[in-house]
Amino acid sequence: MKNKRVKFTSWMICILLVSSVTLCGQEDQENVSSSEPAETRISFNALYTSNDTVVLTATVFRQKERDVIWLQNARISFSAGDGKSNGIALGKVSSDSMGNAVLTVPLNFPLPSNEEGMIQYTASFDGNQNYLPVAESFQSKPARLEVSFYEEDSVKYIRVTGTQFSRKEDIEPLSGETVNLFVPSLFRPLPIGEISLGEDGTGNMEFPMSLIGDSSGNITVIARIDEHDKFGFVKGQAQIGWAIPKHLLAQDKPSRELWTPVAPIWMIITLLIMLAGVWAHYIYAIIQLIKIKTSSKKETLPEKDWSNYS
Amino acid sequence: MANDSQPTLLREFAPQIERTNLLQLIWIFFLLAVIAVGFYALYTQIAEGHIVTGMRDNVVWGIYIVNFIFFMGISYAGALISGTLHLFRAEWRKPIIRIAEFMTIIALLIGPCYILLCIGRLDRLYYLVIHGRIQSPITWDVIAISTDIFGCLIFLYLAVLRDIAAIRDFQSIRIPNWKRTLYRIVALGYTGTPEQQERLHKATDIMAAMVISIAVIVYSVLAWIFSVTLQPGWHSTIFGPYFVIAAVFSGCGVMIVVMWLFRKIYRLEKYITRKHFVNVGVLMLVLAALFGYFTFSDYLTKWYGSEKNDELLINLLFDKYYWLFILSNYIGVLMPMLVVGLPKLRTITNITISAIVVILALWVNRYLIVVPTLESPYLPIQDSRPAWIFYNATWVEWSLTATGIAIFALLMTVGSKFIPIINVSEMEDKPVPEEELLT
Repeated sequence: MKNKRVKFTSWMICILLVSSVTLCGQEDQENVSSSEPAETRISFNALYTSNDTVVLTATVFRQKERDVIWLQNARISFSAGDGKSNGIALGKVSSDSMGNAVLTVPLNFPLPSNEEGMIQYTASFDGNQNYLPVAESFQSKPARLEVSFYEEDSVKYIRVTGTQFSRKEDIEPLSGETVNLFVPSLFRPLPIGEISLGEDGTGNMEFPMSLIGDSSGNITVIARIDEHDKFGFVKGQAQIGWAIPKHLLAQDKPSRELWTPVAPIWMIITLLIMLAGVWAHYIYAIIQLIKIKTSSKKETLPEKDWSNYS
Repeated sequence: MANDSQPTLLREFAPQIERTNLLQLIWIFFLLAVIAVGFYALYTQIAEGHIVTGMRDNVVWGIYIVNFIFFMGISYAGALISGTLHLFRAEWRKPIIRIAEFMTIIALLIGPCYILLCIGRLDRLYYLVIHGRIQSPITWDVIAISTDIFGCLIFLYLAVLRDIAAIRDFQSIRIPNWKRTLYRIVALGYTGTPEQQERLHKATDIMAAMVISIAVIVYSVLAWIFSVTLQPGWHSTIFGPYFVIAAVFSGCGVMIVVMWLFRKIYRLEKYITRKHFVNVGVLMLVLAALFGYFTFSDYLTKWYGSEKNDELLINLLFDKYYWLFILSNYIGVLMPMLVVGLPKLRTITNITISAIVVILALWVNRYLIVVPTLESPYLPIQDSRPAWIFYNATWVEWSLTATGIAIFALLMTVGSKFIPIINVSEMEDKPVPEEELLT
């Protein structure tokens, strides 16, 4: 009976091990069969900033079922052209762990453009033995948003001036466009309003006095045009000291917030009483154990022979 | 020793301690193999980061936290069963109390390890000590668990002291010299003198009361980690007692299964009888009713409250997690009630099967508390993708889950090789007269 049980258990373990080895083998086969180059994709955009640069961001990835796998260290080539000729190479950048390759190009660099001033940007990945080559391109026109502040009759205002760059460095106002305004916050930028730019490319909005800045009241206001058909992404920003200064909590004021260095007194007292009560009992139990040990030593000592003293 | 019949009982249990048969060796080898796979998974997680788990930006707690809650629950149940039965001097406890004591300490050592597996930057763990805030429930948990571990170790030591001394004095037992020396040192020179008995008795009583109260606090603190947050499904005032009831409920299930296993392996049919299964089963029945009541109360108030995110969560539970919800809150509650409640069904096998169902149901219950809530947050994250929002445990997490169970089984097995799984010293003690109970 016992031998049968041992045999049965041994067989079960053997089956388990063999099946796990087989499963591992199957996984390897899958890897080998899927060794053909995988299809890759590029997500590409351009952001025009207020310091007259264009930030080109290409994100290279591959889609595997429901998951997106970012390609790291993929060499991305950036170029700009007028959409007809081959254009000029802007540079090569390797993608980071999130698949992003970012190249910043000054707008005073002679970028080729068509009659309307549109520049065709291209990001391409040459591929390798594991991934197929891929390229992505789009056209956009350079633009600029400038944020400034002014005060009139004791009312504070934000002014946004938009300009667009045509061919041969002609500057025209960015009229009729809607610009969104934000201030930075912990997660996403906090929207504070929107401005429609007039014929002269400017627009203004009253500064919201309820905004909280840093400890000196400084705050950055961001003006943005996102995913525009003609200009793509345009961003400008400026800092001003008009916000409400952030007051850090006084160190001696107890509070339940995690960032306060002093906990509420009731909490400290409760915890101390509980811990003292518990550990006092532990110590009592340990003392009893020590006394058990010492009492056993006493027992083993030879008894004194009192008869000699009589 | 005060007890003359101990050698007879010890002689019966000596083979457990003296030798390990081939079947037991295979069992230990199997457990070690599972643990080895788990260590490979751990290496993978350390080398490649938490990307190898299913945890992402939204669901930052997965089955590691589920396992942590589960093992802590087993530990608490062991503490409550052993502590309460000891204090009430229940005579039937004697053959099973050692199992409960082992469960308490082993589960308590395994549970917190899952927290460490969940932490992305273990190298910053010491920040918890140097920058710890008393206001943080995480700090309460660290303090509570470390205090609980210390208390349970003392309680276990007090509980096994008499048996260790008995083995030390049992000359005919064939054990290696190092083991004999170990017993001699650990026995602390206990010889059973009236003074020593009195001291041991006092200390054990006090520690029994302490482990019960500390376990309640520890499990409540664990519940508060969830309930003090403004998350749908977690922000509940009854989470403390709900967690405590769920813990003892699941622990009773584990207790019954472990009793059944040891009864079969060491042929303890004479000692662990149907009466023990029925008694623990009745406890499980009462807890099933309480658990069902708390669950119903919690979801009913949320459903009637019609708070947007609570509604979304309840819809998710009755849609994507429908069958898990049914297993956890219907089958897991009704099955022990039927099996233990109906005398005809009240057999050892049936009670054990219902205990297995309870264990599965309560593990799933913890999963349904942790994961669906994190899958339905108040604030949507930027650039949400399905893989970031929804959680699927990976082989690494399952492997480390299996490792926790294997370590539990291994330590129970190894523990029974050092100390008899039946409390031999107490077995031969005379029953305490009723008038002396709890004096």
